[in-house]
Amino acid sequence: MTYTRETDHGTPAAIATGKSVTLTIDGQAVTLPEGTSIMRAASLLGGSIPKLCATDSVESFGSCRLCLVEVEGRNGYPASCTTPVAEGMVVRTQTDRLKKLRRGVMELYISDHPLDCLTCGANGDCELQDQAGAVGLRDVRYGYDGATNMGQAKDQSNPYFDFDPSKCILCSRCVRACDEVQGTFALTIEGMGFDSKVSASQGEGFLGSECVSCGACVQACPTASLIEKKVVEVGTPDRAVVTTCAYCGVGCTFRAEMRGEELVRMVPWKDGKANRGHSCVKGRFAWGYAQHQDRILNPMIRASVSEPWREVSWDEAIAYTASEFRRIQAKYGTRSIGGITSSRCTNEETFLVQKLIRQGFGNNNVDTCARVCHSPTGYGLSQTFGTSAGTQDFDSVMQADVILVIGANPTDGHPVFASRMKRRLRQGAKLIVMDPRRTDLVKSPHVEADHHLPLRPGTNVAMLTAMAHVIVTEKLYDEAFIRERCDGQEFADWADFVSQPARSPEAIEPLTGVKADEVRAAARLYATGGNGAIYYGLGVTEHSQGSSTVMAIANLAMATGNVGREGVGVNPLRGQNNVQGACDMGSFPHEFSGYRHVSDTATRSLFEQAWGVTLDAEPGLRIPNMLDAATDGTFKGLFVQGEDILQSDPNTHHVAAGLAAMECVVVQDLFLNETANYAHVFLPGSTFLEKDGTFTNAERRIQRVRKVMAPLNGYADWEIVQLVANAMGLNWTYDHPSQIMDEIAALTPTFAGVHYDRLEAEGSLQWPANDAAPDGTPTMHIGGFVRGKGKFVVTDYVPTDEKTGPRFPLLLTTGRILSHYNVGAQTRRTANTAWHPEDRLEIHPSDAENRGIKEGDWVALKSRAGETTLRAQVTERVAPGVVYTTFHHPETQANVITTDYSDWATNCPEYKVTAVQVMPSNGPSDWQRDYADQAKMSRRIAPLEAAE
Amino acid sequence: MSDETEVMSTGDRLIYMANQIARNLAAQGEGEAVASTASHIAKFWDPHMRARIVALSAERPDALSPIAAQAVRAISA
Amino acid sequence: MKIYVSRDMASVALGADDVAQAFADAGCEVIRTGSRGLFSIEPLVEVETADGRIGYGPVGPWDVAAVLDGSHPNRLGPVDQLSFFAGQQRFTFARCGVIDPVSLTDYAAKDGWKGLDAARALAPQAVVDAVKASGLRGRGGAGFPTGIKWQTVLDAPGAQKYIVCNADEGDSGTFADRMLMEGDPYCLIEGMAIAAHAVGGTQGYIYIRSEYPFAIYTMRLAIERAAHLIAPFTLEVREGAGAYVCGEETALLDSIEGKRGQVRAKPPLPALKGLFGQPTVINNVLSLAAVPFILAEGAEAYAAVGFGRSRGTMPVQLAGNVRHGGLYEIGFGITLGELVNDIGGGTANGRPVRAVQVGGPLGAYFPPSMFHLPFDYESFAAAGGLIGHAGITVFDDSVDMAHMARFAMEFCAAESCGKCTPCRIGSTRGVEIVDRIMAARPTPPSVMPAKAGISLPEGGAEEKRDPSLRWDDGGLSKALYSRSPARIDTSLDAQTTLLRDLCDTMKYGSLCALGGFTPYPVLSALDYFPEDFGATAPIKEAAE
Repeated sequence: MTYTRETDHGTPAAIATGKSVTLTIDGQAVTLPEGTSIMRAASLLGGSIPKLCATDSVESFGSCRLCLVEVEGRNGYPASCTTPVAEGMVVRTQTDRLKKLRRGVMELYISDHPLDCLTCGANGDCELQDQAGAVGLRDVRYGYDGATNMGQAKDQSNPYFDFDPSKCILCSRCVRACDEVQGTFALTIEGMGFDSKVSASQGEGFLGSECVSCGACVQACPTASLIEKKVVEVGTPDRAVVTTCAYCGVGCTFRAEMRGEELVRMVPWKDGKANRGHSCVKGRFAWGYAQHQDRILNPMIRASVSEPWREVSWDEAIAYTASEFRRIQAKYGTRSIGGITSSRCTNEETFLVQKLIRQGFGNNNVDTCARVCHSPTGYGLSQTFGTSAGTQDFDSVMQADVILVIGANPTDGHPVFASRMKRRLRQGAKLIVMDPRRTDLVKSPHVEADHHLPLRPGTNVAMLTAMAHVIVTEKLYDEAFIRERCDGQEFADWADFVSQPARSPEAIEPLTGVKADEVRAAARLYATGGNGAIYYGLGVTEHSQGSSTVMAIANLAMATGNVGREGVGVNPLRGQNNVQGACDMGSFPHEFSGYRHVSDTATRSLFEQAWGVTLDAEPGLRIPNMLDAATDGTFKGLFVQGEDILQSDPNTHHVAAGLAAMECVVVQDLFLNETANYAHVFLPGSTFLEKDGTFTNAERRIQRVRKVMAPLNGYADWEIVQLVANAMGLNWTYDHPSQIMDEIAALTPTFAGVHYDRLEAEGSLQWPANDAAPDGTPTMHIGGFVRGKGKFVVTDYVPTDEKTGPRFPLLLTTGRILSHYNVGAQTRRTANTAWHPEDRLEIHPSDAENRGIKEGDWVALKSRAGETTLRAQVTERVAPGVVYTTFHHPETQANVITTDYSDWATNCPEYKVTAVQVMPSNGPSDWQRDYADQAKMSRRIAPLEAAE
Repeated sequence: MSDETEVMSTGDRLIYMANQIARNLAAQGEGEAVASTASHIAKFWDPHMRARIVALSAERPDALSPIAAQAVRAISA
Repeated sequence: MKIYVSRDMASVALGADDVAQAFADAGCEVIRTGSRGLFSIEPLVEVETADGRIGYGPVGPWDVAAVLDGSHPNRLGPVDQLSFFAGQQRFTFARCGVIDPVSLTDYAAKDGWKGLDAARALAPQAVVDAVKASGLRGRGGAGFPTGIKWQTVLDAPGAQKYIVCNADEGDSGTFADRMLMEGDPYCLIEGMAIAAHAVGGTQGYIYIRSEYPFAIYTMRLAIERAAHLIAPFTLEVREGAGAYVCGEETALLDSIEGKRGQVRAKPPLPALKGLFGQPTVINNVLSLAAVPFILAEGAEAYAAVGFGRSRGTMPVQLAGNVRHGGLYEIGFGITLGELVNDIGGGTANGRPVRAVQVGGPLGAYFPPSMFHLPFDYESFAAAGGLIGHAGITVFDDSVDMAHMARFAMEFCAAESCGKCTPCRIGSTRGVEIVDRIMAARPTPPSVMPAKAGISLPEGGAEEKRDPSLRWDDGGLSKALYSRSPARIDTSLDAQTTLLRDLCDTMKYGSLCALGGFTPYPVLSALDYFPEDFGATAPIKEAAE
C-alpha cells in the first residue's frame, strides 16, 4: 500500500434538504444536493480547483482567494468554496484569467514564506507546495527586501507537535478546526493585516493554553506550520493502514501512517463513522507506549512471588501455565480456577479467553472489567428494554434537542464524542448536567448547561425519581408511546410510586442538596423540549444503586417517548475501547455471547455441539467473588488478560489479599502491571498495532483492528490464548481472527451477519447485524422494544451504607482526566504526563481552609478501607463536602481508599462514594512506602544467564 | 494502619449482598420481592455461594432480613 | 431674543460652544441646532427676526454685540438664500441645521413622522414597493437597490429580523452620516422604524464609530425620547472600536455580535443570514434617512430628480483643499467640475486643482480633464472610479500622486483585517513597490506632502540562505528561488507592471471592498498622473 492523502473536497457535504440542482462545470453537467459548494461539486466531478483555506472538515471561509471561478452572468470572480451551486449555473474553473489571478495570489503567499522546502518536515506533503505547482507559479517578483513574518520563534512547548509561525499562511484552518471540530476555542488570530498571527489563547504557548492537544489543528494545517514532531524526526509516511483506536469506547478510526515498519503518526480517518475525522490527545498522539522500553517481550515464570522473574521460552511458559491449572483443578476442583477477559483486547481474543474457561476450565468463572464499570448498564437496560447496550449511534446526538448528561464527563472521558455534542449544543440544543462537579460541560466557551444539578454523590435514584415525579404529576409523559410500546400495568404501578409526595423534588431536596425548582425545570425541559437524549457514564453505574439508576433512566426515557428514533435514547458512554465487545462476547459468568444465560439449555447445547464438551449450567464467580473465594481457600488459579485488577478494582487491600492467596496467577499484559506483582506466570501481550481483530464501541459498532507491524513479543494475544488452550488439550486451529469471528457469528444470533468481508465492504457494522437487519442497527427499539413491551421498573431510593460521620466527614468521588486513560499503564508511558504528572485531590476552598490545606500541599486521604497521600488542588469545581481524585497513577493508589460496597444487582463497585477524611501530611503513607518496596521486589527479573 | 481498615469476611459479605438485593427489591411488595430476590440469587450466584448462603441462614437466623431469609429458603428448596 | 447656534461637532471644533455661551450670557435664548453644512461660515449664528432667521458667520464670542445690533460685517442675510444652500435639493437634510435635533416638537412640526405614519397605513409589501419605486440605492457606496434588499428580508423566513444601520463612517473627507445623526437623529430613527415595519423587524442597531461621541450621545438621547413612538420596534446604539473594516457590513455584524470584526464570505447574504444568523436589513445612515421623505412625499417625488439609474439626491461632501467645504445635497447628474469649482470654489489656497479623490480613501483620483463626469454611479464606474459615500477631496498642484498611491496601499495595510491574502499581503507589498518606484523615478516632484500619519510595522528578519542549495523541480522551490535578489528586476517598468498586476490581484481577488477598492486610487493615479511614477507619457488606453 502506498501513501496517498485522503481526498479533500474542500467544503463539508451540504446539509440534506432533499432538493438537488443541476449545473454545468467546465462543460460537464452535474446534479448535486442544494447547498453544495461549487468547489465540492468540482471535486466530486474529479476536477480540482486550487485551494488553501478550504478543507472539508470545517465550514468554508473564503480567505485564500485561490479558488476563484467564473460564473456566467455574474460579476467578478466568486470564491468557489463559499458559493453554493444553483440551478442552471454555468461555471468555469480553468481559464487564463483565473490562472493569472491565482498566480498573483500565490506569488503573494510565497513572498512571505521561508525558502527551506528541501529541509522542511512537510516537503512532499505540503499543500502550499502542491498548490504553487497547481497554479503554475514560476516567478516571484517581490524580492527579499520587503517585510516578512519569517524568523519568528517556534513554539515547541507541546510534546507532540511544533508551531512554526514563520511557515504560517494565515488560512485560519487551525483556528476553525479548534472552534468547529474540537469546540475548545483555544486558538485565535491575533493582530490585524500583515501582522495577523495564529496564537493560542491568553498569549500562552500551546502547552500552557486552553489547547487540549486533540490534533485537529495539526490535521488542518496545510503547511509545516503545525507539524507532528514525529514527522520531523522520522520523515513523511510512505504507507497507511486504517485501524481502530485502543483507548476509550468512542472507537475512533485512524490511519496508522507508517514509514517502513515505523509508525509516524495516527491520523483520524474521515470515513470513520464514530469519529468523523476527529481525534483526541490520546488516540492521536499517545501511542508511544507501544514501543516503550518497559514493555516485556519475553515470557517469564516464577514459583513464588518473592522470587525474581525468570525469562523462559514460550513453550516452557505455556506448558507451565497449562500444567499448573490442571494441577490446581485436580487438587481443588473444577471450579477452583477462572479468568478475566480484557476490554482492551479484540472481540476475537475475548471470545477465546471465555471459550478457554468454559470449554477448557470446564466452568463459568469468567468475568471482565465491565464488572467494575458498566455491568449495571447491562443489567438495567436488559431488564427494561431487553438489550444490554446503548440505543443510538453517535450521529444521533446531532438530532437531539435536549441533552441530559448524567454522571459523565465526556470532555475528559470521551472527548471526540464530546466535540460532537458541543457542536450540537452550539447549534442550540439544550443541556442538563446532573453531576456533583462543575465539569467543563457546565460552562466552557460557547457551551453552558441550561440546568446543572450538582447532586450529592449517591443520590442519583432519588433525583431521577423526583424528575419522574414532575413528569408524571404534571402529565408531561407521552401517553401514546406508553400505551403502544410499554406494559400498561407496570407503568401504572410505577406512576403511582413516583407520584407519592415523598418523591417530589421538594421532599428530596435535603438529600440531594439540589433546589427543587431547578429539578422541576430540568424535568419539564427534558420532557417537553423535543428530542431528549440521555448520555451517562460511570457516575451512574459505580454506586450501590448503579443498576437502579440505569433503570430509573430507562423509565424516564420510556415515559417521555424518547426511545426508538434518532436524536433520543439512553446512551451509556462506555469506558474502554472494547468494553461493549467484551460484554457481547460472553465475558460474564452467567451468560454466553449475545447475553444468553448459561442455564438456557438450547443455547448451551448449541455451544456444546460446536465445542464438543459438556458445559457448566451454573453461573460462575464474579471478580470480587473470586477474590473472596481465594481468601477462603477455594479459588486458586487465575488467568488475567490485559487488566490490572490490583490498581483498578476497589479496596486494594482486599484484592491483594485475594491474589496473594492463589497458587497460580497468570498475567498477560504489555507491562509488568500492579497485578503482576502477585503473578507466577507473565505472558507478554501485543498492542493493537500488532494484530488483526475487531473492537466494538459504545454505539455497538464493530470495527476492524488491523495489524500495522509484527508483534514485538512474537505473538498476537489470540495466538497466545490458543497456545494455552492447546496445551490444555483443546486442539484449536485458528489461523486468522476472521475464523474466530465466523465462529462468533455462527453461535450468536445478533452477530450472525458479522464477517470480515462485510466489515471490509461496509467499514463497520452495528449489531444486531443478521438476516433481520442485514446492514446492522444504528438505532435500536424502532417500533418496539427488543424484550417486547418496555418494562417500567419501580426504583426505590435505598441510600448507600457508606455514610459520612465524624471520622470521615467528606465524600470522595473519583474519575478520569483527558490526558490519561484508566490506570494509566499506557498514557503514563507517553508524553501525556506533561499535562497530568500525578493524581491530585480536588477540594473545595472552604473544606481546605478548615483543614489548613493550601494548593499543592500534601494531604492524607483516609477512609475505612485505607489511606494514601497526594497533593491537593483547591477548586470550586467540587462542592463543599465533596472531594475528587483521578486514579491514573499507581503511586497514589486511589483504590486503597475505595470500599467494597457495590451495586446490589451486579457488584459493580461503589467507586463514586467513599466517606473520607483529609488532613495535611508530610508525604507518602506507610502503605505507599510498603507498596513501593513490594512492587520493586516483585518486579525483579533474574539476569538472562540464570534463565538458561 | 491495617487495624483501622475494615474488610468483610466472605460470610458477612454474602449476607450483606443478599440483604442488599432484598432491600432494593422491597418496593415491589413483599411477595414479589421474595420471588425476585430468589431468582436474582439463582441467576447470578455461583453454586458455592448459594450453598454458603443457605448454610449461613441456618447458622445465623437473625442476620438476614425477612425478605432475604424467605428468598434463601426458596432457593434451598 | 432667539439665537440659533450649531452643536455639530465640526461647529464646536470651530468654537460654537463659546459663541453660544456668550449669547446666553448676554441674555439671549440660545437654541442649539445641527449644522447647516457650510464650514466656511461656522461658527454660524442665526438671529430670529421678523424677516426670518438672519445668519452671521463666522463669528466669535466677542461678536455678540455686533451681531445683536446687526452691524457685524459677516452678516449673511437669510441663510437658506445663500447660493450654497439655494442650489441644493435637501430631501434628507431638510431639517438639519434648522431645528433643535432632539426636540420632538420641532421634528413633528417639520413633517417629522409623516413618513412613518404613511408607512404604517400600508402593508409591508406596499412600503417595500414604494422604496423600490423611488429608485433609492445604497448610499454607503455599493449602490445596491435598497428596495430589493428589503424585499429579500421581507420574504426571508425568520423568527427574528433585524434592522442594522451602518454609521461607521470611516472614509476620510466624509461626514454626512455624522451631520445627520447630530443634526436630525429622528430622521434616521424614523427611517429605521419604516424599515422595521416593511420587513417585520423588531430590533434595530445603529453601529457608530467611537470617534463620533456627539453622534452617539445625540442618537442615544433621541432613541430614548422617541421610544414610545416607534414601539414595539426597539433601537440600540453600538459603539465601534476604531477598525475601518468594521464599516464593511459583514464585519460590522460580527462586531455587533461581539466578535472580532472580520469580513464574512457572501453568500449567505446578510439579508438572509445576517445578525445572529437572522434575516437582516443593513443599510447606511443616508439610505435609511432618505426613506421618510420617500414615504411622506411619495416615491415619484424622490425619483423625479436624478440622472439615469441614479435617482433622488446625494448628500455630497466637499473636503480637502477646497474653499467652500461642506455638505451639498443635490440630485444626481451634476458634474464633478461644478461640484469642485462652482460650488466648492476651487482650492482654499488658490493654487490650481490637480486632482480630486471621489469616494473616500479607496476612491479614484480624477484630474480636471475628467471634470465633465456627471455625478452618477454608472458614469463613475465606467471611468474607473466610484461615487462611494460621495466624499470629494480636493488636492492642489503640489500633490505627489505616487505618494498618494503609496498612501492608499498604506491605508489598506493599516486597516486590513488580515483575513484574505490579496489584502493582507498585497497591501504591504504595494507600499514596497511604490517605494521602489519613488526611489527609481528620475526627478522627484519638487513639493512632497507630509507623510500620512500611518506607519507600517516592521516585518520579521528575512532568512538569508543560499537559494542555490534549495533548488528542486517543485513549483514552490522554483518560485522561491526566483526571489533571489539577483533575479529581481527593480526597473521602473518592471515595478510598474508588478504594481498593476498586484492591483489586478487585489481588485478581483480580495474578499471585501477594502482590498478590492484600494486599486482604484492606485490605478487612477498611475493612469492619470504617470509622470509622478517616472513614466513619460500618460497611458491613454488605460484611462478609458
